[in-house]
Amino acid sequence: MPRNYLAVASALTLAAAVGCGYAGQRAPTAAYDVDPLWPQPLPRGWILGSVTGVTVDGSDHIWLVHRGAASMTARTEIGLGTDPKTAETCCEPAPPVLEFDAQGRLVGRWGGPGQGYDWPLSPGGLAVDGSGNIWIAAAGAPAPAGRGRGRGTGGRGGEPATPPPAPPPSDAHVLQFARDGKFLRQIGRPGEAGGQAALNRPSGVDVDASANELYVADTGNNRVVVFDAGTGAYKRHWMANGEPFRSVTCASVSADGLVYVCDRAANRIQVFRADGTFVKEAKVAAETGGSGAVWDIAFSRDRDQTQLFVADGQNQKVWLLNRDTLEVTGSVGAGGRWPGHFYAVGSVAVDSAGNLYTGETLEGKRLQKFVGRR
Amino acid sequence: MMTTSRTLAVGTSFVAVLAALAIAERSLVRTTSAQGDLVEAPMFEVDPLWPKPLPNGWLIGMTIGVGVDSEDHVWIVHRPDSLSANETAAGQDPPVAACCKAAPPVLQFDAAGNLISSWGGPGAGYTWPASNHGVWVDHKGIVWIGGNGQGDAHVLKFTQDGTFVAQYGQPGQPPDSNSTTHFGRVAKIFVDPQMNEAYLADGYGHKRVAVIDADTGAFKRYWGAYGNKPDDTNIGPYDPDAPLAQQFRTPVHCADLSSDGLLYVCDRPNDRLQVFTREGKFVKEVRVAPRTLGDGSTWDIAFSKDPEQKYLFLADGKNEKIYVMLRESLEILTMFGDGGRQPGQFFAVHSIATDSKGNLYTTETYEGRRLQKFAYTGIGKVPRVQGTVWPKR
Repeated sequence: MPRNYLAVASALTLAAAVGCGYAGQRAPTAAYDVDPLWPQPLPRGWILGSVTGVTVDGSDHIWLVHRGAASMTARTEIGLGTDPKTAETCCEPAPPVLEFDAQGRLVGRWGGPGQGYDWPLSPGGLAVDGSGNIWIAAAGAPAPAGRGRGRGTGGRGGEPATPPPAPPPSDAHVLQFARDGKFLRQIGRPGEAGGQAALNRPSGVDVDASANELYVADTGNNRVVVFDAGTGAYKRHWMANGEPFRSVTCASVSADGLVYVCDRAANRIQVFRADGTFVKEAKVAAETGGSGAVWDIAFSRDRDQTQLFVADGQNQKVWLLNRDTLEVTGSVGAGGRWPGHFYAVGSVAVDSAGNLYTGETLEGKRLQKFVGRR
Repeated sequence: MMTTSRTLAVGTSFVAVLAALAIAERSLVRTTSAQGDLVEAPMFEVDPLWPKPLPNGWLIGMTIGVGVDSEDHVWIVHRPDSLSANETAAGQDPPVAACCKAAPPVLQFDAAGNLISSWGGPGAGYTWPASNHGVWVDHKGIVWIGGNGQGDAHVLKFTQDGTFVAQYGQPGQPPDSNSTTHFGRVAKIFVDPQMNEAYLADGYGHKRVAVIDADTGAFKRYWGAYGNKPDDTNIGPYDPDAPLAQQFRTPVHCADLSSDGLLYVCDRPNDRLQVFTREGKFVKEVRVAPRTLGDGSTWDIAFSKDPEQKYLFLADGKNEKIYVMLRESLEILTMFGDGGRQPGQFFAVHSIATDSKGNLYTTETYEGRRLQKFAYTGIGKVPRVQGTVWPKR
């Protein structure tokens, strides 16, 4: 019984965009439809935990990192992953790093503790560098998210907005792996003392391939730090312009060398030149409280990268912005657990065809794909 | 007393399951292609875009009941208070974000998946459950609701527009499985149209099936496992290798009557279904996924819509499966579903119902929190283990 699910899905995004405008930011319909049958089901009774990072590599393979067992309820969720087992056929945590091809087939998986490096207590974002290697931020064990009978946890994203003072931080580093999972490099050490290179629960990473530089959203230190992606050497850092960052969760570099920084809990994007010179800023869903509205940023794949995509895990949508003016032009999604809905959408990435990929943390625990409407 | 244990047959099918899983392990991508061992069974595929998005930025929490009425409208009951303040940020005072708010506890969808009514919550003249559990729409169109919270010792009846009709059982009473005046945190209600009696899966506090008159609530009869007199003595956690328990373990989670007058009872933590006559005479039992611990494997059942009700569908919220069983033999023909948050996958699939066209509806509790539809696509050959049942592109 073949059906064109994308056509049917149009109604979903339409309804979502109309139904959930916020505080004067009512957005026109975004031209994206969820692909509800992507990615393919995971094998082996594997399930995803809270997804903290999503990225797309040069071959349009989609990568995610998730929190695994640490974000799961042992009694109810992973009956095959406990000792003794409490279930017969389902489920257990998938390995933390998963690679999907464009068709949504799982083609690689790895991650977890190993020799020579400190696997994060909780991962944050991940990024692919110019050599095709994978960088992962060690974002630190998060606090529980809110009251209620449900439970929630999250790496990047989640409450509280103000990080607790916890030196020395237990996650204080970023990791580099080859795409097959071979460990390559660690920058920073948990418990390492001070110094301008020391990280504190960094939750976002991005790579400027042309300069071979690694940008780190150094959440616990309220700053952006730049390292040499080849040597791991510290190069420079900067703080917010004006009011200090409340929770910096991304530092994404555009093709024309501008750095877009997520100040999540302040509902704020700040834009800098690569040397840290402040350029401009904008608020998104400015009245948002809680965890805030600006969790992650991706760029459209047209030559001039004319659009920004902002994952907003508090209002449960991806905002579309004009990159030049930083004005909101639309949005995708609404709150809920059905396809095309979100709970705690904290990561966003774009492939070469312009398709959007989102990762949900807390109890969202999904990777979703949205296709541009032609 | 006849004890027809089906453990052997089930054990055999699980050997097949394990073999199939072993084959699936060789490939990273699980397929639903044939593994050689095909069986004829009703087939389903998830409708990933059913139901339609809810209005008003509404969310559903733990969704712990589903029923289908005579017009094929789908009714669910969920727990608004299971949603965290973070999820219901728009419903806080003052609002924290544009999304989202808790939907009312009882929601009615038409067959196309449109939300057409919503109601529920505390009101005059009745005690709304501390923790909603189970919804049933009877042959007269009355909506029944149970509750498994502290002090929930009653069931409620409403008209379809949410007007209170009746409350049976005295709320606030402590558990007593031999009480004739109250119930013990009822999981599900099933109304027998022929005898106009309501069967209560009773429940989270009691270890019994209780039967009342559907119009008056008059207490009629009750019984425990194997038809024994219920005994509230704590028998400890389920041990799959111990002799079969002579009492139900709480929760007794479903009690559904077939068209030929057999009552199928979900003895959930004991991983078994027990079958009785209307009068409570034990007929037979089957163990399902008997090494499942904790929450157990037998959460809810529904019957196929052919006149003979040839098939029985069993929801297992621990292994995240729907088992398709032959009702007469209680043999598992095939299973579908798997863990996950994508369409056709489950986290804690809790309740199941069928409509007149043979479509299946499921709801998920804990953090699953969905209503899903599985479209019936006819009888055909399927593998013993189907995995996630998606429509073809």
